[in-house]
Amino acid sequence: MSKLNLRAIGLALLAPAIAVVLSILVTTLVIAAVGSSPGEFWSTMFEMPKPRLRVDIVNQTAMIYIAAVAAAIGFRMGLFNIGLEGQYTIASFAAASFAGAAYLGGFANVAASIVVAMVVGAAWAGIAGILRTTRGVSEVISTIMLNAIAVTLVGYFLNRYGVKEGNTVHTANLEPSSTLGGFAPFEDRDGEIWALSIIAVIVGVGFWVLLNKTRFGFDLRASGQSESAALASGINPKRMILISMMLSGAVAGLIWLPALFGGARNYGTSFQVGLGFLGIAVALLGRNRPLGMLFGALLFAFLSVKSNDLTFGTDVSPSIVQITQGVAVLAVVVTYEVVRRLRTRLEQRTVSRELTGAKEVTA
Amino acid sequence: MPSDVDAVQLRGIGKRFPGVIANHDVDVTIRSGTVHALIGENGAGKSTLMKILYGVQKPDDGTITINGAEVVLKSPTEAIEVGVGMVFQHFMLADNLTVLENMVLGAEKLHGIGDQARAEIRRISDRFGFGLDPDVLVEKLGVAARQRLEIAKVLYRGARIIILDEPTAVLVPQEVEALFANLRELKDAGNSVLFISHKLDEVLAIADDITVMRRGTTVGTADPATATKRELAELMVGSELPSPETGESTVTETVELSLDDVTLADEFGRNLLTDISLTIHRGEVLGIAGVEGNGQAELVETIMGMRIPTSGRIRLGEVDVTHWHTRQLREAGIGYIPEDRHRHGLLLDAPLWENRILGHQTQAPSAKGMWINRKGARVDTERIVKEYDVRTPGIDTPSRALSGGNQQKLIVGREMSGDPVLLIASHPTRGVDVGAQSAIWDHIKRARKAGLAVLLISADLDELIGLSDTIQVILRGRFVGTFEPSTVTPQDLGSAMTGGEAA
Repeated sequence: MSKLNLRAIGLALLAPAIAVVLSILVTTLVIAAVGSSPGEFWSTMFEMPKPRLRVDIVNQTAMIYIAAVAAAIGFRMGLFNIGLEGQYTIASFAAASFAGAAYLGGFANVAASIVVAMVVGAAWAGIAGILRTTRGVSEVISTIMLNAIAVTLVGYFLNRYGVKEGNTVHTANLEPSSTLGGFAPFEDRDGEIWALSIIAVIVGVGFWVLLNKTRFGFDLRASGQSESAALASGINPKRMILISMMLSGAVAGLIWLPALFGGARNYGTSFQVGLGFLGIAVALLGRNRPLGMLFGALLFAFLSVKSNDLTFGTDVSPSIVQITQGVAVLAVVVTYEVVRRLRTRLEQRTVSRELTGAKEVTA
Repeated sequence: MPSDVDAVQLRGIGKRFPGVIANHDVDVTIRSGTVHALIGENGAGKSTLMKILYGVQKPDDGTITINGAEVVLKSPTEAIEVGVGMVFQHFMLADNLTVLENMVLGAEKLHGIGDQARAEIRRISDRFGFGLDPDVLVEKLGVAARQRLEIAKVLYRGARIIILDEPTAVLVPQEVEALFANLRELKDAGNSVLFISHKLDEVLAIADDITVMRRGTTVGTADPATATKRELAELMVGSELPSPETGESTVTETVELSLDDVTLADEFGRNLLTDISLTIHRGEVLGIAGVEGNGQAELVETIMGMRIPTSGRIRLGEVDVTHWHTRQLREAGIGYIPEDRHRHGLLLDAPLWENRILGHQTQAPSAKGMWINRKGARVDTERIVKEYDVRTPGIDTPSRALSGGNQQKLIVGREMSGDPVLLIASHPTRGVDVGAQSAIWDHIKRARKAGLAVLLISADLDELIGLSDTIQVILRGRFVGTFEPSTVTPQDLGSAMTGGEAA
């Protein structure tokens, strides 16, 4: 049995390992092809990050991880929520506006803002869910369009109701009582790990419990594995689509909150775009598994943050890491399918071997 | 015109798939101008052998000799070049094209696509009594005519050796007779036919030679003039053939399921089911006979709450369940063995114990409140594996890795768990081997004795007659006849199934 387990773990790690090697290879080739030095690039990238960057990496990992979980909730039941970007944009704006208005003080304000973000994110994703269940509109199309609408809508409201400061606009700043102190592992000037990065831990554990321990999680996975079998087993597919879409949106609403309450203090130029798409990529890289996505988020955060060093140390553009990230995702999708077939074959062999041992041997 | 050279000689054919030996040491000789039957249980390796002969798969060992010349077939195209053609169990026809268009599709070079081709089709059709009109749309054709078209397609392409994979599975008895008449014509014209089946009556009626396969290899040949069904069956299974006899009636007075004038229309307003009424008592098995596609699947889905009837009422016991959802119905004690176990019955990549939960997510021992009861489900899966003899290394094995029969035994065990009051069984023994088949029959019989009401839908008329207390025949969404299994013959059912006669 232990041999089997070792093999299972080995197979599970095989695909990401191949993907990482492949992406390093392709990146190296690209850098060499444009005439820069790959050696210089990799030595800069793999140099131990400075304390300030280490803090950055942790914060980025947390946000990317929340986004990945949001994507994975949809993926696990075969829904492609491409609209994380729009959902967290509009949810972040709503939460920042609500928190900035300071109807409540201190922690109550933070807690209420978290709820606002989740509700707005869920509602925005719910539009795509309702379109899918009542009109049969593919959620891929509707969420992409909702992304554009969300960005435009937020821009409009920000211009109209935002606080003007120089030539920038932002929502009202948080009261000092509503900003959360973080945890500074190094010198104060190296920055803090944001308090709400803890959301990533809660979301990750919650995702695991939901999937593996609850009836809802079982229904979700069953729907993802076989729609027809799920229907025959008594799962109401429309209800599942709507609920999981909204759940995905609610988690997406949380993505940027660590930054909002940790450092940004308002929704404006400091808002970080692109986390939704990074989350989708990391969910693919981590195969929608809680632990796999953690490694994926860490890798992506590391590459993104560390690429800042390239500007000073080398003549390679920091954008090159996007190639690394892209190839990693592409490669993992392909290699995972290859490994899955290999695993199926091994399992069938195991079954027939164990069974022929039990039955009488055929000549 | 039969020549002395054998049409086909297969010698020492072997084919291995990962983890499975599909064929080994297979020897088959088809004499020229004969109908050669290849028989064996499901999973005996017949289909693999056919695919090898038709060039779909390459053998790992052995040789193929066609009309005296050794050949290596890499693709169906090469097989057709040496005169081997195959008619698959599932037809490969385009419904929205005519007979002529289907015929010339991919063979345009032979006789063009115009009058010359039309003449050739007429010639083939008249020669063998196929009765094909080149300009009729295929969607207008019945199953038997489609099959004749498939055979004609093969002949049109110049095949002289024709493989038929379980051709009678889709036909009613009268159509089988007609097919056999066509096959005799083919044979008289010097063609050779390889006829794959596991229906022994038919094999004895048509074949000139019989080869029996078991567990991937040929275990013997028989002469249909002298062989008996019993001998063939023993060769096939290595033991006696089981029979589905139910014994004495256990029907009670208590009505478990009743349908009153249930009608189901599709989105275009056409009726899929019309005025279906039935009652099943506790301890009763109601069998539904019918050619596939006459509303059986819709009937099951309506009862299971996956479709809501346009009019009419469905009652489970005393309760009106017409508008209930599948999950409520399952919780009320309906077990469901779906027609297509891969699509509706299993999560193929999930382990057996998770498959035990499927369809019973809300019930003990699979769940406790909103939580999945992993331990309870695992213990109960162990019980099913033991009681239903599911051959598996363990309950963590994904269900995909199991053979069809073992998958089906797991499903039957699951649906019988928790003492259901009603079992909806769609083709419960389709595609399973004889051993699993008799085990499944035994379980249904035992549950029936304990008071279970069963709706049994099957294409196997022997199974229907053997297990049912009453048989209803369904045709185009209506019940067209009620039969008493103790007196009915497969011929009677066949007539009713094709609309020949209503009782």
